[in-house]
Amino acid sequence: MPPPLPDPYLADLERRGLLPPAQAAAIAADEAQRPFSLHYELRALLYLGITLLAGGLGVLVYQNIDTIGHEVIIAAVGLLMAACFGYAARHRAAFTWGVAPKTSVGADYLLVLACLLFVVLEGYVQYRYNLFGNRYGLATALLALVFVPLAYRFDHRGVLAMGLSALAAWVGLSAAPLRVFENDFGNASIRAAALSLGLALVVAGLWSEHQQRKAHFAFTYLLLGCNLALLALGATMVMASFDSLVLLSLLAAAGTLAVCVGLYWYARRTRSYWFLVLSAGYGYFAVCWAVGQLLVLLPSEIWFASAYLFLPLSVGLVVFFFVNIRKLMPDEKPDQRL
Amino acid sequence: MLQAYDPAWAFAANMRDRASRWQRRNLLDAGQLAAIETAYPLDFYRPVWALRVGLFLITWLGAVIASGTVGLMVYSIGLHEDGAFVVGCLLSAAACFVLLEAIIRTNKTYRAGPDNVLLYAGLAALNGSILFLAGQNLPDFNATLAPLVWALPLLLTLLVLLAATVRYADPVVVVVAVANLLLLVFIGTGGLGIALFPPFVMATAGAMLWGLRTLRRRLAAAPPLAAYYATCLLTLKVTALALLYLGGNYLIVREGYAFLGSTAGFGPSPQIPLAPVFYVFTAVIPLIYIALGLRRADRPLLLLGLLTLAFSIFTLRYYRSLLPPEVAAVLAGFFLTALAGLGLRGLRPARFGLTSEPDDEPRHFDLETLIQAQTAHALGGPAGGFEFGGGESGGGGATGQF
Repeated sequence: MPPPLPDPYLADLERRGLLPPAQAAAIAADEAQRPFSLHYELRALLYLGITLLAGGLGVLVYQNIDTIGHEVIIAAVGLLMAACFGYAARHRAAFTWGVAPKTSVGADYLLVLACLLFVVLEGYVQYRYNLFGNRYGLATALLALVFVPLAYRFDHRGVLAMGLSALAAWVGLSAAPLRVFENDFGNASIRAAALSLGLALVVAGLWSEHQQRKAHFAFTYLLLGCNLALLALGATMVMASFDSLVLLSLLAAAGTLAVCVGLYWYARRTRSYWFLVLSAGYGYFAVCWAVGQLLVLLPSEIWFASAYLFLPLSVGLVVFFFVNIRKLMPDEKPDQRL
Repeated sequence: MLQAYDPAWAFAANMRDRASRWQRRNLLDAGQLAAIETAYPLDFYRPVWALRVGLFLITWLGAVIASGTVGLMVYSIGLHEDGAFVVGCLLSAAACFVLLEAIIRTNKTYRAGPDNVLLYAGLAALNGSILFLAGQNLPDFNATLAPLVWALPLLLTLLVLLAATVRYADPVVVVVAVANLLLLVFIGTGGLGIALFPPFVMATAGAMLWGLRTLRRRLAAAPPLAAYYATCLLTLKVTALALLYLGGNYLIVREGYAFLGSTAGFGPSPQIPLAPVFYVFTAVIPLIYIALGLRRADRPLLLLGLLTLAFSIFTLRYYRSLLPPEVAAVLAGFFLTALAGLGLRGLRPARFGLTSEPDDEPRHFDLETLIQAQTAHALGGPAGGFEFGGGESGGGGATGQF
């Protein structure tokens, strides 16, 4: 290793008289002997190790299922789940509509593990004893019915997300942010389901924020709900105009704008740039599409020329929006930015 | 000035990071921190990441529309088709660079999105027209001295990229420049026999690392410049180290030869000459990276070491299945759990200059989330709740899979 150079940053501070030399020396000494933290690397290895161990053991159990027996496995998973739930319940905080104080990090993780084990257990019981028969909906609805109350009682947004995903699965959708596009929005009944569930989630989110009933859950509700609702509305808007149902298309555009206004309200209230950009993006799309719809009604020479003007104009407007976005946020503090 | 952005910006940003760390460690009081923050103002524009992405996309859209319009105009003048393409590209590139310089000067954007787009678009248009012009009349690659003719335009594009790096210090441009250099090396070895490609890649990576050391030493005399180019140098280091490993990795070399010799897909690939040398490289390089990363408290090196080690293990298991997968998984899981547990317990309090306590440095590369995202997917279940900016991330919602 080369000999350590004097730190240029400390030297600059000293030169400008912002730091007395003794303190600079103390900082340099601290920098030199500050240990190298392996916290996150070790935790990643631990996670990987546990995943490998669990996966390997799972396969081993599966291969030797004839000698072990299904009942033993179900009992083991059930016991493990009960133990996890028990630990989480013992360390629970008193119920509050605000943010409950975190009592134990372990309890948080074990609650998630318990919920995952519940999913495994339910699946196993269904596979072995066909408990729900062909009523698969009942199985997913049960998950939502268990997870959502648990999330409220234990004040856990991860469990809430699991519950809402189960709810979405119950109506035949996937709501996870990165998988929401996999829904078949070309299908009218899927669109209707996505629209109603998405709107319900958005309303639930806005309601919790407005009433301060678990206001911090609003983020989860809105994140899962708004994409569903907005994509369903957007798909309706596009498909209706292909079927020349101009009125329906405009109606869907208006609905999109309404949801965007709700998101804008939430974004301003919580200073969330994420939702601000989301509402602006969907709003831009809806307005462009609606204007396009109206322009097409004009004679073709006129609409081509006006579209040619409108597109750059709209891009200019969006640039203007981004440049002035800070002014849309109330009294921003730099450390509270997204 | 050679640099497009003010190097003082990078220096001030670094200074503020350091000062807030020192304040968290109680080495500065709040008044001193405030004094430092007024003495080193951040007088450039770089918004939060969501806005940067938005600005990037919208500028990209604008650039596409504008260059399309330019192209249409050039085409309508009645130039020859190829000529119109080149002229359109050059005009667009010129417009991009003029606009880039203008917004840096007036709006003080510093990697804020629009300047990134303009830089990339300008470089793509410029290098695209160079390659397009050169591609019109290339000789057959096997003709004498043909590689030289092939190398010439690539040399030109490399020079353009290097000049852009010196001026704008953009890490993406560095990666593209390294790729360009590799292509040159590939063409160069093409004349001498392709078997020389891996050692040439390793030699190139070694030369890059050596050049990096020299650059570091030169820049140490001028701290603002060192801050200005820090991201570029880090990018160069990581790419060079990765190339050094990949050039020596047995799997890459063997399958690469099979691919180039077009024996791929016909049963197992043939054994390569000097195989033991590549076994050693594959096994040893990750360990060296990890050891050096731990010794020098160099996190990028350590993470690269862990990733390359994982790839080396994959390489081993690709050719030799030592144990059935489930037994191997159990053993490896047990070993990793024990190692991590020992490390977490044993390095608290710190030992050998290492600790398992968290430091409050911001994470730029989150290994844990990467592994979680990857394995959660492998276990069959979409990630549940995403949490932007908040603390926790939601659990995997493994539902509806019966």
